[in-house]
Amino acid sequence: MSDLVLKDVRKAYGEARVIHGIDLDIRDGEFVVFVGPSGCGKSTLLRMIAGLETVTGGDVIIGGEKVNDIVPADRGIAMVFQSYALYPHKDVYGNMAFALRHAGEDKAVIDERVKKAAEILGLEALLKRKPKELSGGQRQRVAIGRAIVRDPEIFLFDEPLSNLDAALRVQMRVEILRLHQRLKTTMIYVTHDQVEAMTLADRIVVLRDGRVEQVGTPLELYHHPCNRFVAGFIGSPKMNFLAIDPIDDGRRVRYRQSAPIDLHVKTRSGAVPTEIGIRPEHVRLVEPGKGAFDGTVFVVERLGGETFLHVDFGHEEPFVVKADGGVQLRSGDVVGLVFPAETLHLFDAEGVAFEQTERHALLG
Amino acid sequence: MTNIASTGRARAGRARGLSTKAAVHTVLLGYTIIAIFPVILVILNSFKNRRGIFSDPLGLPRGETFSMEGYATVLTQGDFATYFANSIIVTVSALFLILLLGAMAAHALAEYRFRLNTLLGIYLILGIMVPIRLGTVAILELMVDLNLVNTLLALILVYTAQGLPVAVFILTEFMRTLSRDIKDCARVDGLSEYRIFFEVVVPLIRPVLATVAVFSMIPIWNDLWFPLILASGDATKTVTLGVQQFIGQYTVNWSAVLASLSIAILPVLGLYALFSRQLIAGITSGAVKG
Ligand SMILES: Nc1ncnc2c1ncn2[C@@H]1O[C@H](COP(=O)(O)OP(=O)(O)OP(=O)(O)O)[C@@H](O)[C@H]1O
Ligand SMILES: [Mg+2]
Repeated sequence: MSDLVLKDVRKAYGEARVIHGIDLDIRDGEFVVFVGPSGCGKSTLLRMIAGLETVTGGDVIIGGEKVNDIVPADRGIAMVFQSYALYPHKDVYGNMAFALRHAGEDKAVIDERVKKAAEILGLEALLKRKPKELSGGQRQRVAIGRAIVRDPEIFLFDEPLSNLDAALRVQMRVEILRLHQRLKTTMIYVTHDQVEAMTLADRIVVLRDGRVEQVGTPLELYHHPCNRFVAGFIGSPKMNFLAIDPIDDGRRVRYRQSAPIDLHVKTRSGAVPTEIGIRPEHVRLVEPGKGAFDGTVFVVERLGGETFLHVDFGHEEPFVVKADGGVQLRSGDVVGLVFPAETLHLFDAEGVAFEQTERHALLG
Repeated sequence: MTNIASTGRARAGRARGLSTKAAVHTVLLGYTIIAIFPVILVILNSFKNRRGIFSDPLGLPRGETFSMEGYATVLTQGDFATYFANSIIVTVSALFLILLLGAMAAHALAEYRFRLNTLLGIYLILGIMVPIRLGTVAILELMVDLNLVNTLLALILVYTAQGLPVAVFILTEFMRTLSRDIKDCARVDGLSEYRIFFEVVVPLIRPVLATVAVFSMIPIWNDLWFPLILASGDATKTVTLGVQQFIGQYTVNWSAVLASLSIAILPVLGLYALFSRQLIAGITSGAVKG
């Protein structure tokens, strides 16, 4: 069993507190992604799980055993680093065999395991090469192979793809997914790329400033973000936010002088909705004058399959609408905007989301 | 029109590139000549007799000025084989200790967070600013107390102390640039801190170790001061001290001096060749990104 439990885990570097009490339960075989903006403590948390940073408060429990004071090598983990961290003076085979050789493993066993890992990752032809004779993608594969060879209970990845170019990143992402399907080992993966998080994760842990903001499946986070931060972080392009005025006791809202917009949320006593959020893909474009209000298109980004329109209607933050690839609008055109009520997210002054009533039925 | 102008510009650019190149090479060549000239002069004159040295110091040895008398004196008088052995033992041992202790101290300073880290670092490199010769009297007293006078160990210890500050300084700076990930990876792989140092860090810093070795080697090999004070006995004489026997108060046996100096260059060249083989740039490339 290799369940991983974090109990009120804290980290401070001297006076500077970096992780403020994280509770987390990761089941055996799960693929969990830690995501969050730069400096939020993802790497620190991962390194604490690995045993590379001391834990200054709380417990890290792997397979039912508290491992706070156990050295990394005895935790049953393997880690893949952002910078690959290959041993430059050893060839690919030597890199992959290093940990096993050090552990005094049998030569035949080492050979078999290295060959198997090389086969999984397509590295058979490169075993005699030195790291400097490899491309970035190959190096990353060796780094992953080195982790596989150790046959760990838990894989830890710290932004393993961020040094690769976009195309290779997509390819390696798929390979890591297939690796997980094949090995069925627990994997914890750190990234600040929300696309990687969405595509890889069974569950995503959104972190901010050393605290967990929300834990859930990718679609849970997409459809039911629990606060404004998660809503803004998950999804690309970002969710649009508009300050609004509640009317009719908060059953409906109004943006400036627009027509009232219906809501489908549970009201909470004491909380007043002050902001709505709507994803670019949920805004509908209509003839001017027929929507809740009108806006002027000022930037048109054509990606081929889809088009992002930046619309200006006198508010501060950018407002993006996702439209068809073939949409005929140009910059300067006036459009009407419709916000379908069941797609709206509502937040109070603290940024806490209101629970939706209709959406479950509609979007699952 | 524009075409002509642009090719003209290109030609001018090429010409400028060529002239700067020529200038750079002239300067480098000049510097090389200046640096090598004394060495050549020593070697040339070591093959001349006394009269040849004085009558035509810059001339090539030929005819009646050619003579091996210097080398003959060196090989028959005194015990130059011992002096050479002493010099080599002292230099190599001190270098080994400087590199080992320096790299270990640098690793600790760069890798571990502990209180007084900065203070300790400053303490270790303070020696750069304070010449060790200022402490000669105290060192001599210490060596007398330890019964180490007239032993090679005394020299080895002093030279290690002399070389460590610069070594620690250079190596610490370099070690700070080493990727943290690779050491962490070794930790996850189950290596002890010592093995991380010897099996992961040392291979990564080999080029810098070689640089430090070359820098530390020359002052040790050439030193006259400490051998004179700490180890002037015949069994512990080093080459530089051995040469002194040809420099009398009234007469100097120049042929012998120059011959012994010429021979003394050889081991240094050998050591340099050994280290420069290690100075292969880019040994770390491919370890981490890029
Ligand atoms: N050795 C240290 N001493 C003091 N503060 C540190 C130390 N290491 C990290 N921190 C702080 O801890 C916080 C979290 O760092 P961490 O590296 O975990 O961020 P991250 O989420 O991985 O960011 P990124 O996406 O940029 O990698 C940062 O604010 C950082 O400044
Ligand atoms: Mg990080």
